[in-house]
Amino acid sequence: MGLVESGKMPKPLTALLNLSRRYSIWIFQWGLACCAIEMGAALGSPRYDVMRLGVIPLPASPRQADLVCISGTVTDKMVPAIRRLYDQMPDPKYVISMGSCANCGGPYWDSYSVTKGVDQIIPVDVYVPGCPPRPEALLEGIVLLQERIQHEDIGARWRGDSIVVS
Amino acid sequence: MTAVTERQKLAYVNAQAADGRVNLEFETEEGMTLNMGPQHPATHGTLRIVAKLDGEQVIACEPIMGYMHRGYEKLTEVRTYPQVTTLVNRIDWLGSFANEVPFILAAEKLMGVEAPPRAQWIRTILFEMSRLANITLFLGDMALQLGALTPAFYAFRDREFLLNQIEAATGGRFHPNFDRIGGLKDDLPKGWIADTKVAMERIRSFCDLTDDLVTGNEIFQARTRGVGVIPADVAQSYGLSGANLRGSGVDWDLRRDQPVGLAWDNVAWKVWTHPDGDSFSRFWVRLQEVRESTKIVEQLCDGIPTGSIMAKVPRIIKVPEGEAWVATENPLGEMGYYVVSKGDLGPFRVKIRSASFNNISIVPWVTRGVYVPDVITILASLYFILGDIDR
Amino acid sequence: MQDTPADVTAEGVGPTDELRQGLIEAFRAELGDQVVGSHVVPGDSLWVRVSPEAWREAGFIARDKLACGFFDFLSAIDWLPSPFGKSEDAPMGESLEPTGARGEIVTGYAGGESRFQMLARVQSLSRRYGILLKTDLSEDDLIVDSWLPVYAGANWHEREVHEMYGIGFRGHPNLIALYLPTGFEGHPLRKDFPLLARMVKPWPGIVDVEPMPDEADDGGSGESDGESDAASEEGSG
Repeated sequence: MGLVESGKMPKPLTALLNLSRRYSIWIFQWGLACCAIEMGAALGSPRYDVMRLGVIPLPASPRQADLVCISGTVTDKMVPAIRRLYDQMPDPKYVISMGSCANCGGPYWDSYSVTKGVDQIIPVDVYVPGCPPRPEALLEGIVLLQERIQHEDIGARWRGDSIVVS
Repeated sequence: MTAVTERQKLAYVNAQAADGRVNLEFETEEGMTLNMGPQHPATHGTLRIVAKLDGEQVIACEPIMGYMHRGYEKLTEVRTYPQVTTLVNRIDWLGSFANEVPFILAAEKLMGVEAPPRAQWIRTILFEMSRLANITLFLGDMALQLGALTPAFYAFRDREFLLNQIEAATGGRFHPNFDRIGGLKDDLPKGWIADTKVAMERIRSFCDLTDDLVTGNEIFQARTRGVGVIPADVAQSYGLSGANLRGSGVDWDLRRDQPVGLAWDNVAWKVWTHPDGDSFSRFWVRLQEVRESTKIVEQLCDGIPTGSIMAKVPRIIKVPEGEAWVATENPLGEMGYYVVSKGDLGPFRVKIRSASFNNISIVPWVTRGVYVPDVITILASLYFILGDIDR
Repeated sequence: MQDTPADVTAEGVGPTDELRQGLIEAFRAELGDQVVGSHVVPGDSLWVRVSPEAWREAGFIARDKLACGFFDFLSAIDWLPSPFGKSEDAPMGESLEPTGARGEIVTGYAGGESRFQMLARVQSLSRRYGILLKTDLSEDDLIVDSWLPVYAGANWHEREVHEMYGIGFRGHPNLIALYLPTGFEGHPLRKDFPLLARMVKPWPGIVDVEPMPDEADDGGSGESDGESDAASEEGSG
């Protein structure tokens, strides 16, 4: 229909599309280290159930995922794999950086083999601090991301402009 | 009978492919190379397995590590002792309290300080609880690796009770950072002991559940019996430890055989071994160990001595010169720290002997000639944590 | 129970116990004067230092004659004091450049004459003792015999030592990198390998340091350990 590209999306339609997008996120868990266990508890355990937010874990491959949650220490050896995986995800895609290792290097900030934060490689939407963050913290990060999606300008994202959060 | 010409071979191949029956066997020199990982649902983290296959059988299999190498041994050289304690929690990130203990004990050995009995008992209780937290996840996860989804959910659910207790005592679900040179940071909160006993009941019910669902399951038995047999002498020369060693029939448990001052001598417990040495025996030994640990914790809870939880140590810790080695029976196996001190605020060199490094070094040997799904079974039964291998 | 590191070669010098003295004697019976040092913490641990040519032979003796079938670990120690100092305590504003002064090399238990030492530990499960073996490596020729024929598990440990220290192993079939990515330059665990992040920027926790209220009774510098990521603090009894 060309509405998105030309930027002439009517507001109610944008709101409806964003609503449906925010409540149907398919999360690809890139669980690297200790935060992966907390992410597993958030995604799989009945207490911190993430499915009630509309987020379903375990897509079959990154090519079917909307959101990737990078949890754990990012080492220099792992960087090509992360970049490749991010490139495999189709747009629109979102990134949550979970844990202090993925945010900024964390307790290993001075190590010779640790990348000081995954945002040096891929753009990050939400940072969830903690070492490890509680599953509830991850859920809050996901809720924040959902609110962000709700107020997103689809046209800007389509054109590839940098996203301004309103 | 004339020799088959090239043309006839090609015609045969094409006919097979056209039929849709993919039953071709290409005899190449080295076989096909299969790469699993570093991101793969079947590896406990970022382990990469490169396997050379001949059909479905593995000719050679090589794990490639380093994707979680954070440089621990270099980092400990520029940190003080309490900071190293914080860092060291994250090596085996499922049973974290157990990582701190050998390091603290080594530092105490060099200082000549002994923690008071109450601290030693509480350390033992938390140590066993970290063992439970670790191995219950293994029990759920091994079934997951073999294709059974349900036990993993039960494992996560029942682990929550345990993590609640650890959090109530130490403030952290994992990475408690609770041990200090000379004792512990805080005393136990009120009502903790009663709640812990309830948690132990839950873990025992989880073990019974696992027994029902997994142990006698036909598929599980078919996939694990006789797979990945490791004889006892090979296990020792590779330095396997923990349940991997006991699953091969070797009766060796550091809690009993190399006492370090913690409270295991004060309770009645049993070391479980299994003579077979295959994947099933390693699973079974761990299941029995979980049950045994719950009994240990209950006995310990009943008899904690009163007293202080911290010995008299200076505020700023300077450990005198010397070298010390302490190893304990961690959930994954034998974990040891070799601490070299020069009288500074921080150690001079710490060699971390982690259990999974030795456990996984046997993979090239044990996977010769097995099928590809068996590689997953063997890895699952050897049970490693990437942080423990890579440090 | 503290013993100063002593280069113990003669009988009766330093504390000892019967079992471990017997083990030292067993080594000496096979290797003669290639046993160049030993140290005993009675009832607990034993260190034996051999000359580099006898490194593999010592492994065979431990495995065959002393029933040490269990291979614990194999590693190395670099005894050079770090030329970068202990940068975690430097107050703000002080230069973090390496002092350049080459500190004196002081080795530890069982003595030692070189900067690099190999360290290995083996355990006897039946007789319940463990032996820590050390050997010196000359700095111009950092190579030693591989322990692969002795214990199969030494394979990966030697690869790690080769990668972290740059020590060669004669007879190892596959001495390639274990942990580090391809293209990594340098040997990280050597003391003169800098941690660049610390060079660029001092440890962030220093900014928040305040003197503790009752620091006076501990004497000396008013520095505290600052704050680590998980805000660890030590208490006194």
